[in-house]
Amino acid sequence: MTALIMDLRRNRLLASYVIVGTLFLILVIAGGLLSDRFLTWRNFSNLFQQLIVLGMVSLGQTFVVLMGGIDLAVGALVGALTVFLASFLEWRPDMLWLAIPLSAIIATAIGALNGLMIVVLRVHALIVTLGMGSIIFGATLMYRREPGGSVPNAFADFAYANVGNIPISAIVLVAIFALAGLWLQRTRSGRDIYFAGGDPEAARLNGVHVNKVIILAYAISGLCAAGAAIFLTARTGVGDPRIGAALTLQSITPVVVGGTILAGGRGGVLGTFLGVLLVTTLNNLLNFVNVSSYYQWVIQGLIIIIAVAFNTSGKRR
Amino acid sequence: MSAESILSRKISRKTLLRNVPAAAAAVGAAGALQFATPTPALAADEKPGYYGVPRTWVWNPNGNTMVDTSKWKKDGPYTIGFSNASISNAWRVAFQHGVLWSAGQHKDEIAHLKVTDANDDPSKQIADIQDLISQGVDILLIAAATEDALDPVVGRAMQQGVPVVMVDRRVKTAENYITYVTSSDWALGRLEALWLAETLDGKGNIVMLPGIAGSSVAEIRIKANQEVLSNFPDIKVIEKQYCDWNPATGKSVMAALIQKHGKEINGVLADSALQGSGAIQAYLDAGYKDGEIPPMTGGDIALMYQLASQHNIKMVGIDYPTSMGITGIETALNVLKGIPVPDKVEVSFQVVTSPGADTTSVKGDRHLLDHVSMEDPGDLSPSHGLPAGYNPATFNPEYPK
Repeated sequence: MTALIMDLRRNRLLASYVIVGTLFLILVIAGGLLSDRFLTWRNFSNLFQQLIVLGMVSLGQTFVVLMGGIDLAVGALVGALTVFLASFLEWRPDMLWLAIPLSAIIATAIGALNGLMIVVLRVHALIVTLGMGSIIFGATLMYRREPGGSVPNAFADFAYANVGNIPISAIVLVAIFALAGLWLQRTRSGRDIYFAGGDPEAARLNGVHVNKVIILAYAISGLCAAGAAIFLTARTGVGDPRIGAALTLQSITPVVVGGTILAGGRGGVLGTFLGVLLVTTLNNLLNFVNVSSYYQWVIQGLIIIIAVAFNTSGKRR
Repeated sequence: MSAESILSRKISRKTLLRNVPAAAAAVGAAGALQFATPTPALAADEKPGYYGVPRTWVWNPNGNTMVDTSKWKKDGPYTIGFSNASISNAWRVAFQHGVLWSAGQHKDEIAHLKVTDANDDPSKQIADIQDLISQGVDILLIAAATEDALDPVVGRAMQQGVPVVMVDRRVKTAENYITYVTSSDWALGRLEALWLAETLDGKGNIVMLPGIAGSSVAEIRIKANQEVLSNFPDIKVIEKQYCDWNPATGKSVMAALIQKHGKEINGVLADSALQGSGAIQAYLDAGYKDGEIPPMTGGDIALMYQLASQHNIKMVGIDYPTSMGITGIETALNVLKGIPVPDKVEVSFQVVTSPGADTTSVKGDRHLLDHVSMEDPGDLSPSHGLPAGYNPATFNPEYPK
């Protein structure tokens, strides 16, 4: 709790949280009025299950955005990792214990490589990650054009499983966000991210290895993409090179809506969590009230603009 | 809507013709149980089309498997959940219109039709299906974005006691759904190749213009074409070029082939009018006069039928019927009523020929202008089964929401 308050104070994020929280409450109340099945435990358990993929990718994106960067490779990376996992598990279904850490290592390495190129080549993150995304996507298609592979049943069950009435995926997601939040607020290396992201020059003068921090942020983004891919593969049972395509841009919405500014140095994972909750609940609610998904895009766009506009005007005051 | 109800209403010939695929769909959904009444008497030159029981069901040389649906039987009115992969092209729009319209026709039995649209994103479709189950739907009608990624969630729906009917695109495991509403690409490929071979009296050079390389629909149609052509040793396939079901690609590919082979091409075997209409335009651009353009195959959009009629081209066209959306709702209702359904509902298509272009084995169900009118928009999918004057841009059916 104190960490939370410190987070709020340090980053002046209260305004964003209030806006996102209010929008979320409006959705929940509207949902309750519009459908008698919306406010049921069953629907919430289903909704929490849906949080994990977007949640993981957005968490990774938060670190990168805090550094003033952006990771446009995550979508392709998630797709590639689902292909890796499903192909590996089709070959050796008994080696789940190896497949999962291996995919995490590969993803972290690719993320770190993104960071390294940004630091060494001094090319903008947008270009490096866009290029990397394209390379990953192309290479994945060379190996597998159509969805394929398979996963053991136990792994598939895990993605849909509950502890009591709470989906495992929701517990995992909350735990990871809490860990990430604590790390950012309570440790030296976590605080360095804010420092290096907000004012790299000052950070350097104060002895922070800014380049290392940048590489670390991209590596975390890769690791988070692996987390998303693990759940996505379990949920779909296949590897699909195209399945992550929409995630790249989707992952940025919760980050900016949650108050993390694109210039870097300010924001936090709690805001991102609320952003993910908001976007996922919105899609769920619009399915309940039977409106076309095209409205979902329009409303999502409106929410981004409204939330960010409020954040900026709040800052001016 | 049954065939009987269509016939008993006072309707113009045009309306009757336009409703024919709907009737076929209705009968198809009922499988073996509701055999159609005979075709109404019409003047000799009018071809109303085929609207009997699916021919692939009747003519299936093996036994048809019927699925016992008694364990899914429920009292209505029902809530149906329809999870659509997308409405990202003209075919998918007309298809969804069929689903909505059909639900409106059955509003006495259907209390709610809940519709979701996954924008071709399998990940979103998984969430959509879960959301529909949360809303307590009695049955799911699903057009899957991909047959692999949706497989687990569809299987889970069945395990949770929600019956699933697949329509247009299925998931890979047959145990995960009750039945699959589709149309036969094998029959389509055989009929088109057979018509072309017989029209050419079994000899000549042809070019093949299939759809998208590697897509199951295109590859099945090619295999079916080849099955037939293997019986005609004097027919030479001089070129085979994929045209991505795209009119512009069809036109540019055909233009190049005309440059290369000119009048040596005796026939064009296109699996859809999407590229077939482009091929006709390539011939027209190359200065071919009416009557000089070789026989062609195609189907799916009005433009090719219109061009063939206008320029006196011999053709056979078979649409992949968008009316299967209508059949999908009918089939879902049958499942909920406990009426047995075939394990695969293959919606009959219309075999459309130019007047006088019937061959020994392939007789047209309709002529070009029985199937489309010259006023129809070129991209209209003629086998929509919807009421007369259907226009996808303005059609807004009422259905129980």
